[in-house]
Formats: sequence, C-alpha cells, structure tokens
Amino acid sequence: MDIERYLAEGGRVTSPQGLPPRYRAELLRLMATFVDSSLAGAAGFADIINAAPGIEARIAAAKIVLEKTDHAGRVLRVMADFGADTARYATHHPWTGRLPRSAPPEARLDTPDQRLSVFAFPLDGWTDAVVMNLVMGTAAGVQIDDLVQVSYQPLAEAVREIAPREARHTGLAAEGLAQALARGDRDRVAASLAYWTPRVAQGFGSGRPERLAQLTRFGLRHTAPETQAARWRAALAQALAPHGLSLPG
Amino acid sequence: MARFHPLTVTAVEKTIRDAVCVTLEPEDPAAFAFRPGQYLTFRRDFDGEELRRSYSICAGIDDGRLQVGIKRVEGGAFSTWANEALRPGDRLEAMPPMGSFHTPLDAANARHILGFAGGSGITPLLSIVKSVLAREPRSRVTLVYANRGVNTIMFREELEDLKNLHLGRLNVIHVLEQDATEIELFTGRVDEAKCEALFRHWIDPADVDLAFICGPEPMMLGIARSLRAHGLDDAQIRFELFASGQPGRLKAPVAGCGAAAGGAGTEARITLDGATRTVRMEPGQTLLDAALAGDLDAPYACKAGVCSTCRCKVIEGAAEMAANHALEDYEVARGYVLSCQAVPTTDRIVVDYDQ
Repeated sequence: MDIERYLAEGGRVTSPQGLPPRYRAELLRLMATFVDSSLAGAAGFADIINAAPGIEARIAAAKIVLEKTDHAGRVLRVMADFGADTARYATHHPWTGRLPRSAPPEARLDTPDQRLSVFAFPLDGWTDAVVMNLVMGTAAGVQIDDLVQVSYQPLAEAVREIAPREARHTGLAAEGLAQALARGDRDRVAASLAYWTPRVAQGFGSGRPERLAQLTRFGLRHTAPETQAARWRAALAQALAPHGLSLPG
Repeated sequence: MARFHPLTVTAVEKTIRDAVCVTLEPEDPAAFAFRPGQYLTFRRDFDGEELRRSYSICAGIDDGRLQVGIKRVEGGAFSTWANEALRPGDRLEAMPPMGSFHTPLDAANARHILGFAGGSGITPLLSIVKSVLAREPRSRVTLVYANRGVNTIMFREELEDLKNLHLGRLNVIHVLEQDATEIELFTGRVDEAKCEALFRHWIDPADVDLAFICGPEPMMLGIARSLRAHGLDDAQIRFELFASGQPGRLKAPVAGCGAAAGGAGTEARITLDGATRTVRMEPGQTLLDAALAGDLDAPYACKAGVCSTCRCKVIEGAAEMAANHALEDYEVARGYVLSCQAVPTTDRIVVDYDQ
C-alpha cells in the first residue's frame, strides 16, 4: 500500500524512514512552529516573573517559563530523529526579539523563525501577561486538540504529555485574571483583551486550500482553521463570561 | 545528533527459512540501552553506496543481550546480505535505539495488552511481550499473530516458551492465510472483519488497556478502525510501520556537473509538489530564497542549516552549503542540500523538493 494512501486513510507512522518528502517537510515545519512558539513564548514570559505581584504569582510565572521550555525540548527531541541539531536549535534565534508594542496585528517579525506571529509582540506588565496567557492558552488548547491526532505518532505522544500542563498554564491565567479583576484592574484587562485577541486570531491563519487539503490527507491536520478559530472564540468567551467580560470586537 | 557506534556480531540464528536473529555486542553498551519495541538503524557500504536499514530489537529488556530480527525482503540488499553472508565476528555499525513503539513498564500495573503482529512485525512485539511479562507480574498479554503459513512464523518456539514460562498470562492467537486450520476464526487475513469476529468470540475489547500493531499498512488500518470502533482512543493504540517504506537499493547519486557560476546569475529549475518552475537567481542567493521569491511554497523553518525542513535534492548542477548541521555525509553524497544554505556553483541547477 502506498504510504500516502495509508496516511490518507488514517494510518500512523512512527519513524522518519520512508516518509514522502513533502510529508517530512510539513511535519518538520509543524514541529518547528511549536518549538519556536514555545521558546519565544517562554523567553517573553521570563521577564514577567519579576513583575509578578506576589510569591505565588512569581512561582506560577516561573513554572510556566520552565514548562514551556521543557515542551519545546520534547518536540525538539522528535525533530532530532530527522537530523535537527538540537543543541544549536535552542540558541540559534534571538527568542526575546519583539516588534514594538504599537505594531498592528498583521505585523511580522523580520526573523526567519517559525513562531506564531503573536509571539512577536511584547508583553506590557503583569496583567497584560496574564491576559495574553489566557487568550493564547485557550487557542493553544484548541490547536493541541488537533495535534494529538497527528499522524506522526512520536509527535502525537509528545503532545499528549504536554497537553495537560498547557491546560494548567491556561488555568493559572484564569486564576490570575480573577485576581487582577479583584485588584481593580478591569480597564487594564479590557485593554489587554482588545490588544491580544486579534493578534492570537492571526495564528489560526487561513492558508491556501490546496495546502490545507494536503495537510489533511497527510493526517497532519484534522480541523479546518475556521473551525478551530470558532472553537477558540467560544472557549474564550466561556472563560470570560463569569467575570462579566466579553470578546472584543 | 545520533551517531553510529560499532557492534560485533556474536550469533546469527535462523528463525525461519528467510529470517535471522542477530545477536550483537556493542563496544559501548550504555549507548544501546533500549526500551522494548525500539529499533536499530544500521549502515553499510554496498559497492560504494551507503545503505541504512532499521530493524527492530526482538530481545526482552531483561534478556541481557541485544538482538534484532532481520527478515529477507525481496530485492533488499541489506536483508539479503544479513541472511546470507553475516557471520559471528563481523562488525556492524548502528545508531543507538530509536522509536516510540513502547510503553513505560511498572511492576504495579495490572494491564491487558493486546498485540497484533503481521509476519516480521512480530520483532518489536516480541520484545514488548517479553518485557511486559517479565516486569509486570500482574499484566496479561494477548497476541494476534498473522502469517502466511506455519513455516513463516518467526519466533514460534520462543512464543511457546514464553507461554509456558508465564502460565496463563500470555495468549497467542495464530491466524494463518494458508495452512487453514479447522477453525475459521483463525484462518485468513487479519482485517477489520477478522477483528470484529475476534472481538465477538475471543477477546473482550473493553478489557484492553493498550494495543500495539505492527504489520503491513492495510492490516494496521483495518485493526485500528476496529479498535476505535470498540472504544479505544488514539492514546491506547500504538502503530509501528517502517519496514515497508524501505526501498531495495539506492539509486546512484547524480554527480554535480557544469562550469563554475559566473556573476550573471544561475537559472534554477525547481520542482515542488509535482510542479516545476524555472527562476533566475541573484548571485549569492540561496536556493530557498530563489524558490520563495519565485512564489514557490518551499518548506523551511530555521533558515540556519539546523533543522532540515528545507532539504531538497540537486538533480543537475551543483551547489555549496554555507552551513550544514543537519544532513549527514551520506545524504550529501546522494545530492541532498539544505536549500536555505545552498548557493549554486553552476550556471544552471535543477533541484527537487519532492525526493
């Protein structure tokens, strides 16, 4: 049986050998996006530890930085089987590089790494970081739901281990949001929601239909970007509702 | 990055007519600590061409030895050589164990593990079965083992011995295509229908904690469909597929030819996703940048020669890489370049991302 047909029928593969070149390339790109986003996200969050308003918050922020870096490492280990040089990879891009805060949502960072574009924007203080973490964490949850079904089994397994910890990070953000509101930071929260929501939305992309179809045939994607974006918006609205907040725009 | 390490062959035993079990002694045993279900990738030079082939470890984790099973593939240079010419005392080179077809073992577990093996797909499963039975005294294993006929059953005696050693904890169901047994259930191919029948009469899928499948693609798809239909989720189903994707022989690499590039810029013919386009390159431009500038959706990620996402093959002409941290020598010898690092050194170059 031809391997492309096997994949199209829902087959799983477990080793880099014998994979079609385009599959290999798309899979590596998918993994690079995850690794780059995690490293860039952790790098941005590292500075925020010092802005945390208390010991618990400092611990939570440090834990998020630690675990996101670890998640990057786990997926990078899967990439290593394809020849990626993991030691060099971890340091070859300036992960802290950011656009000016005022850059529009469509702006892109002029570096070749594959981070989601949202990780090109700088955080602005603790409450802003909490809101970003909630908005992005909710999106990551939707994307991870898709990624655990990926046809490359070693990646699916790595993501399965990562998923509950990513969900906890989003849970920490939800707690942080409640605390920020209790501190009377409602305006700040609303401003940050308005800032981050369109920037996170960019990450769902639209993509050329042919490419999406191919990713689906390869078993590298199971949900359409529009469906994912809708799920994200619904999940985010649900997280905001108890606080009397709603999705901007 | 994984490196090749030397190993000495200490035994080569025939398990059936066209398969051998090879025992290996690594110079660096620590590098070959394995998890049951993993495989080794060997390399060997055949008439000046390097071939790499992966074979699953069939030894259990407590067997105290490193063993792989190698079944001869029609037209397969490495497997034929291993079956016909490999002798004790020979030296081989292999990368440390790789693969994720395994499950963490814990003596406290009381699991029912269901394995499906097709032909030589038994090799990693044998390692898993042995290790689970040895390390998890409260776990049980059911193995559905598909073969053409009685004489093609690899490790038949080892499985019998395991059943006797772990009384009541290993159940082996042989399903044979030919050599029909009297029971219809155990005759034919292991496909979706056969799984349904087995689940109705023989195995309770609700009782299964984890399933391992290693065999030909259609068999794996059928089994997986049936397992999913019976409520197992993706995290409970492990697939192993690699043997069938390996070609018999490599094609000879295309030697670079053509004169050194002048300043006028190179003409590049780039094939991507089956379509070919010709672009005129700027001096010093990389193949990747030329492809992107030509509106080709060429894959890349790190643009630093680290990740291998942008790999393509030079079919005609030649290119030089500024940095290469990802491709190995044999890949470079076969004409692969990292397109983010590769600048043509000829007036004309033909590259293919689809190979």
